[in-house]
Formats: sequence, structure tokens, C-alpha cells
Amino acid sequence: MNDPLEAPVDEAAAAQQRQRYELADDTGFDEVPKKYRKFYRRWQGDGDSLAPNEVICPVCKVVIRSTRELRPGDRVYCMPCMSRLVVVRNGQGMLEATVSY
Amino acid sequence: MAVRDDVHELTGEQFHEQVHSFEFWFHSVEGYLSGLEYGHREGAAEPDLDDAERDRLISVLCNYCVGETAALDGASGLVAIAPNRHAKIFLSTQVVDEGRHLEVLLHRMSELGVADPEQEIAARACPSLLQFKDRLLELVAERDWEAAILAQNVILEALEFAVFHHHAKTADAITAEVLNGIVKDERRHIGFGENELGRRLRDAPNEHRRLREVKDELDHLVLDALEDTARSLGVGDIERHALGRMYIGSVQRLGLDR
Amino acid sequence: MADFLSAYSIQNWLESCPQAYLEGTEYGHQPGENEPEDLLANEVLREDAIRTTVQLVVGEKCALAASSGLINAAPDEGSKCFLATQTLDEARHVEVFTQRLIDLGVKKKDLDETIRRHANPNLVRFAEVLLEKVDKKDFVAGVVGQNIVLEGMAFSVFEMLKAVTDAVNPKFAHTLAGTIADERRHVGFGENRIGSLIKQHPERKPEIEQMQKDMSYHMLATFAASFRNNPAREQIEQVKEGMRESGVNAEYHGANLSELSPEEMEGVLSDTVLEEFKVRLGRIGIDYQTPARP
Repeated sequence: MNDPLEAPVDEAAAAQQRQRYELADDTGFDEVPKKYRKFYRRWQGDGDSLAPNEVICPVCKVVIRSTRELRPGDRVYCMPCMSRLVVVRNGQGMLEATVSY
Repeated sequence: MAVRDDVHELTGEQFHEQVHSFEFWFHSVEGYLSGLEYGHREGAAEPDLDDAERDRLISVLCNYCVGETAALDGASGLVAIAPNRHAKIFLSTQVVDEGRHLEVLLHRMSELGVADPEQEIAARACPSLLQFKDRLLELVAERDWEAAILAQNVILEALEFAVFHHHAKTADAITAEVLNGIVKDERRHIGFGENELGRRLRDAPNEHRRLREVKDELDHLVLDALEDTARSLGVGDIERHALGRMYIGSVQRLGLDR
Repeated sequence: MADFLSAYSIQNWLESCPQAYLEGTEYGHQPGENEPEDLLANEVLREDAIRTTVQLVVGEKCALAASSGLINAAPDEGSKCFLATQTLDEARHVEVFTQRLIDLGVKKKDLDETIRRHANPNLVRFAEVLLEKVDKKDFVAGVVGQNIVLEGMAFSVFEMLKAVTDAVNPKFAHTLAGTIADERRHVGFGENRIGSLIKQHPERKPEIEQMQKDMSYHMLATFAASFRNNPAREQIEQVKEGMRESGVNAEYHGANLSELSPEEMEGVLSDTVLEEFKVRLGRIGIDYQTPARP
């Protein structure tokens, strides 16, 4: 399985205005109420990668999606496991989510 | 409550009110339980198992039932000592989830030809898992909210999540569908446990030492049970190590590994 | 036993409750339904509605504690699974009635204080009698107290409230309809499961009969406090007058509630509940004990 945290981060993008994303309604994720399903998808394993508006929940491993490109300090919610998370840049320069209790 | 364009723009308070409600549970399970009977689609063909395979599967299911009964008894006891209304309501949804897991696993055993599943469970239950259950219920009876949440929603749920997820990859189609449905419920339970305990430990850091002792006491019981199940499932050493990773991750994030 | 309990399975519950009569609802009513404007605008009636709803929250909190507490004491897996569904039903009732308090204008931060202030002490005592049995893991007494006495009372109270509100407050009437449907399962389980256990343990009867008598007294005292000396009496009479003028027949057990005084309504409710107790307890082999009248 590819390490999702190895997805490249475009440094130049940080200085630019945030890109907005139109989230597809049906990601095949069925574990939260319909109105919230577009904000989540399952990690597909080998060959999958994270888009700039996505981050993996460290608690339940679901991919969390946002309507905007994510940056360090952003707050995101994982509804499937009910965690509040903050996006940080890890030691390797990759974006990841940490749980905010 | 009105839905914002971006779920991530909810305030923390709005988020917790949403996810710890019956309404949230109700609309969540609708997505993956509607159309299923006892956790799987009706009419699915039974696998062609030889006697030894069938016997191993029954042993594994018996121990899953022990774990789910522990979770059912534990979660129902926790409702009474939950510190607020939202936690009580969330735990009530967990109670019915655990009851459903027990029911679908018992039903799966009936489908595999077990005439008296409850008797079979008594005969095949792993002693370590039974000891874990007793200790969990003692913690609940002592009204020790933090320790009971650690035992139930962090330790037990994380291991169930990992084992069921792994087993579903190699199981027959019916058992796999049943297990995958359970895993979807467990995601809520492990998340509730880690977040609730995380908040408590943040506000009372001196609790770390006490909870580490509880964890150390329970670790060997659940790891013995995991060994037992892994053996029945024919899981190799490397995969066995991977099974514990989710639990270890939770424990590390909570600072209970040191 | 296995066949009887299969009717109370979680599979059945999923198909008959979340996937049936609750489908499409929000907090138990249709999306977009609101409390009536004239109720919200009348301070006395609004306070009365809050007071009534608080009693429902208190009763449901007791039911939640009792049903979850009894799971550990249940003698078989089927009963545990049924009580798991009942636990969630009761939690849902706590949630929908608490939401009604918010809809009636109670601020979230004031919820606990509002419930404390308005909770009828007799209802609290009623709950304590039951929860003492639950704390002792006494399954037989706990199920009689919870699924026959408490649920029997709730069933009749909800039916009466629904009869009164059907025409004037569809939102609340819809919420009540869902809770009534839930209570039907609960009283059914109580009777069907406990009948056989009472036969096995006849020595338990005197203690259970005393519990029923005590709980019934506290229930009657709760009804008395709710109907007599109600500060909203005058305003409620005006609402009933409006119902009569509109030709609304709020029928409940043969009586048109819009034509009854509060004392008469209390009498109809008390007699209905006690008669139900008598019949249900008789079916499971318990001798009904007449409580003192407050």
C-alpha cells in the first residue's frame, strides 16, 4: 500500500490563493448521513493518492475531503469516527491530520 | 440544524451535537444496513466449507460473540455513568450496535448449522477474553468512567476493528459482509472512545499514570485473545503484528504508551 | 423462547422503526414542522408546555437508565438484544423531548436547570423506586417496573397528549405518534417475557406487587400535581373552548377531552392507566394492588 503521507505537497501553492473543489456527491462512502457523504471516501490502497483537499484520519483511516485545498492549521472533522482534527505539516513536509481533543 | 456548505465549518459544539445524536446514528446506519437481513443480503449462497474450516470459523465466531457480549454489557452499564446527555445518547446507539453485532453473529452460526449457539459459545470461549469481560464489567460497576472507556472503546473496540477488518478480507462472502457492516459501526465507537478519553486526559493529566496501569493489566488478556483468534484464522506473524497497530496508534496518541 | 424472542430482534426493530415509521422524520416529526405560533407567543401556555415536556424528559431518562441497566441482568441473549433496542428507543425519546424544550425557547445552557426546576418530585420518587430494583440487577422486578408500570403509564399519557394535540399541534402529535409506536413494543416485551419468569419465581410476587403499589401512588401524585392548580388553567380552558367551537373532538377512551375539566381529565387518565395495569399484571400472574389516592 502506498503511504498516503508521501503524496507530494506543492510548495508554490502555499503562496497562492486556495484552490476550491467541487465535491462529487457519491463517493461510495455510506457510513454517514447522505448530506455529509461527499466529505469522505475510503482509502483505496495501492495506487491511491491524496488530493490537496484530502487528508487521512489517523483514528479510523477514512479519507477526509474539503471543498478547499488544505493547509497547516486547518480544522477538519472526521464524522465516521467523530474526531476533530487539525492539519499539520509533518517532519517530511507532508500534510497530515492530528487529533485535537 | 442547517447544513453548511462545508462540514468542516461547523463549530466544535455543533459538530459534537450532531455526531452524538440519535439523528446522526439513524441517518448513518440507513446507508449501509437497509436491504440487509441479519447483516447480509438475502439469498447469498453459502460457501462450500470442509468440516475443519467450518469448525474453525465457528470457534472464531464464538469468540467474536464473547467480545460483543462484553461490549453490549459494558456499553449498557456505561449509559448510567455517562457524564452528560450527549454521551448517554451516543452510548445508547452503541448499545444497539453491539446488540446487533451479537445478533448477526449468532444468526451466522445458525446458518452454519450450529443448533445451540449459546451452548457452543460457552464451550469454545477463550478464557482470556472472558477474564477481560469480567474486568471490564468490574470497572463499569465501580463507576470508573475513564478506565471503563479505555477498556471498552479503546482496547476492545480497536482490536475488534482490526481483527474483523482483516478477517473480512479472507472470509467467505456472507461472513465478510456481516463483518464489514460491523466494522462500519466500530469506527464510531473507537472514535468516541479515543476522543472522550483524550479530552479527559487533557483536562486531568495526572490520570495518565492510573490509566497506564489499567492498560498494562488488560493488555495481556486482549493480546492472548488476539493470539488465539489469529491462530484460528491462520494469520502469520507479520500480519499479527499489523493487527495490533491500530490499537498501538490510539494508545500512543493518548500518551498511554510510556 | 427463541421463537418468541425473534419477534423482538434487532433485525425486526430496524425494519419496523428506523426503516419504517421514523423514516423521513427529524427529531420524530416531519421536516419543517414547528411549534404553533400562538403557543410560542403566549407566555403562560409556553411555560405550561415546557413544564409538561420536562416531565416527559424525566420519565424517559428513567426509562433509559432502567433499560440499559437491565441488559447486564438479562438471563439470555435475546432479551439483551431487545433491551438494546429499547435503550436506543428511550435515548431517542430523551433527545426528541429535549429538542422540544429547545423548540419551545429554552436555551441549551439552561436545559439542565429548567429540567431540575420543573421536575415533579413525585415523578422523581417514582423513578427512584424502579431504579433501586435495577441497581440490584433484579431482572424480574426491573422489567415489571419498567416495561409494565413505567411504559404502561407513558403509553397512556402519550395517547392522551396526542389526542389533545392532534388538531392544534401536529408537530408534537407526530413526535408522540412515534414514541407511542415504540412503547407498544416495550409493553409487549414486558408482558410476554416476564409471564414465564413469574411462573418460575412465584416467591417474587409480594415484593413486585409492593413495588407496583408504590410506583402507582407516585404516578397518581404526579398526575394530581399536573392537573390540579395548574397556573395555565385559564389559558388551557380558552384553547379547549376554541377546539369546541371548531368542532374538534379530542377523543380519549370515549371522552371528548375538550369538554372535560382538568380534574375530570386527571380522573380519566388515572382510571385508564390503573385499569391497564390491572389487566396487564393479571395476564402475567401478578395481583394488582390498589394504591392510595393522593
